[in-house]
Amino acid sequence: MVKSFLRLIVAFACASLLLFSPLAGIAANSPLEGISANDFVDAIQERGYLKVGLPPYNTPPAYFLEENSDELQGYDVDFARTLASKLGVDIQFDRSSTSFNNLVERVGIGDFDIAIGKLGLTYNRLFDAFPIQYLSFRHAFLANREFVASLGVEPDDPRFGEILKNSTIRIGSIKNSTWETEAKANFPNATFVGYKNWPAAKKALFQKDSVIDAIYRDTTEIKPIVYLQPDLSLEYVPILFDELIDRKSIYLSQDGRLGLKDFIDMTLRREWGGIKTDTNILDEFQSFYLPS
Amino acid sequence: MRLNSSLVQTLFSSVFTFLPKLRKPRNFFLYILPFSIVLGRFIPPSYSSTLNEIGVSLVQLIAFPAIPLVLSAVMISIANIFGSETRSNSDRIRFGTRFVISLLAAILFASSLALLLSLYQSPGILSPSAKLSIGRFMLDVTDIRIGAVSTVAQVNDIWFSNLIPSNIFADASDGQTLKVITGSVIAGLAIARLRSDRTQPLLTLLRSINTISVQVLSIVLNLAPLVLICLISAAISTINAEIVVALLNFTICVFLTAIASLGISRLVFRRFTSTSERLGISVNPVDSVFLLSLSTGSSMTAYPLLFDTLTGMGRDESEVEASASLSLLIARLGNVSYNVIAILFALNLYDVSITPVRIVEVIALGAITGISAAGLTGVATVPTITVALLYFQVPAPPILVLLLAIDPILTLPRAATTGVLAMAIAVVSSYKSPSQKDFKDAATAV
Repeated sequence: MVKSFLRLIVAFACASLLLFSPLAGIAANSPLEGISANDFVDAIQERGYLKVGLPPYNTPPAYFLEENSDELQGYDVDFARTLASKLGVDIQFDRSSTSFNNLVERVGIGDFDIAIGKLGLTYNRLFDAFPIQYLSFRHAFLANREFVASLGVEPDDPRFGEILKNSTIRIGSIKNSTWETEAKANFPNATFVGYKNWPAAKKALFQKDSVIDAIYRDTTEIKPIVYLQPDLSLEYVPILFDELIDRKSIYLSQDGRLGLKDFIDMTLRREWGGIKTDTNILDEFQSFYLPS
Repeated sequence: MRLNSSLVQTLFSSVFTFLPKLRKPRNFFLYILPFSIVLGRFIPPSYSSTLNEIGVSLVQLIAFPAIPLVLSAVMISIANIFGSETRSNSDRIRFGTRFVISLLAAILFASSLALLLSLYQSPGILSPSAKLSIGRFMLDVTDIRIGAVSTVAQVNDIWFSNLIPSNIFADASDGQTLKVITGSVIAGLAIARLRSDRTQPLLTLLRSINTISVQVLSIVLNLAPLVLICLISAAISTINAEIVVALLNFTICVFLTAIASLGISRLVFRRFTSTSERLGISVNPVDSVFLLSLSTGSSMTAYPLLFDTLTGMGRDESEVEASASLSLLIARLGNVSYNVIAILFALNLYDVSITPVRIVEVIALGAITGISAAGLTGVATVPTITVALLYFQVPAPPILVLLLAIDPILTLPRAATTGVLAMAIAVVSSYKSPSQKDFKDAATAV
């Protein structure tokens, strides 16, 4: 009786070994084991914070420091914070880049997890990092009306756009920015004058006997100038290019693209409301652009 | 049921008794204008577009007898003046010379007067607060969009082709007043070369059309008070009061030009009419023309009054018809003076220095662009200055936006200037009717 019971146990043990040992072997040697985790996200979560690169400028309402405050604000800052909260980590901003282009180069080599801050899309930047579009802004000029009148064709005239694009207009904007590249690409006969920052470019346009005829940036930067100083409308006019779109993007490194792109896409769709246009932004931040 | 129909009848008849009374210029200032302003201040802006649409529709109704009136008046008068059987060659030369000289003199006067007043009043030199008001008004309005579906360019060309008639009936049905005028002049000249027995049936028909058109005009003019109430209230409801204040100098210039034109026309009327001609007149007809044009915002509405006054004084019917219709429609002296002021306003606004050469250019361009408004009405006449602004390389869109904003007010003095100066031209160019002259001569001989 005891013998037969022992025999049953031994048989059961052998059957168990035969049944489970091959599966266990397969599981142990499976190549899927390494892919099932997101190393890039894991690394961020292990670190405990998201490293975000921001341009070294103040561009309200996208990203800016309030006067007498160390706390960054703006819709780009808010989006980065949302992303960090969805990842379950804290956030750390880095504003030590020297220019927009330098910021994109640095995210490409992995200095940050993401770079954000109204960064435009250019061929050169595609050499350095991987973009995810989140804003769609029309290119715009704030042009001297006298220059516009000197073109000798009415703005209503369908030929006006071509004449302006081929004119010898003198364009001012931030040097080493996407606008320098775009000015050279879209206005072949124009002269580009680079300034160290946006306020310097604006100041240059409003000077008497200015060396520039227009300043060039996206609509959300051009329109607020006349919103804040309506009397400028008599001498300067916003020119909005419906067909020249600045695809503002969040930039990632190669690893970041592999590990974080789907996560950012989902956050953009669910929390941000998809790709926003300049009109959306101008409406959403009307209180900011149109102070009472 | 019977009670209802009689009630409607009573209401209808009382409205049509009341409306003509309101047409009196005095009532315009005493009742219509204050009522419209008060209404405009209190109605919500959402209702203003409806009021404006009603006003524009009524204007369209008032303007509908204009084309047959022009066509018949010009054709009959040219046929009569140039008809070999009706008058001598010297009469024709006399009328033609007087008409052309008085027309040119009136154009020169209107533009010079407007220029002098503008130089004195300096419209366009604005205070910082006025610039701020204008800037606020222009936000988003004058932005240039490239690549968007282009809007239809506003009428601002002065091409010669606009004068050449293609098919007089098609031109009339398309509302191409300029083409109708030139077509009527050519047809009138052709009628004048034919024997009267061949042309008489057509002339009788044209005369009948003319009489009916005048009658239709006087009926639909009863609606003028309603038109004004709708248009002024809608304008007051939407117009930015800050803009009116900012452009006060410009507005004053346009009104002063109208008043000065009234004064000059009164002098011309006194100088070129005899005491015997003025015997049966109790009220100065120039004042009536001025107030009628001012209160309706349309110089054409003064045509029947102008015609009746001068023919009643014994002036030659054909000459009055020709000079009045052509000066009201072609010369557009209100637009000439308005454009001169608007050009100077633009030059001042953009700090363009006013040199003697530029003054001559302003007068010439003001006259040309003003005359190019022939055939256009109301607000559509404003963009005619674009040609002049492009010539001076002054930004046109902001100027047009500002002018269009205050046009509901300035269209009134513009029409009044055209009306009174057309009266002056008709008084100078028309002569005493030969039949009346013979009658008077005979009476004197007896």
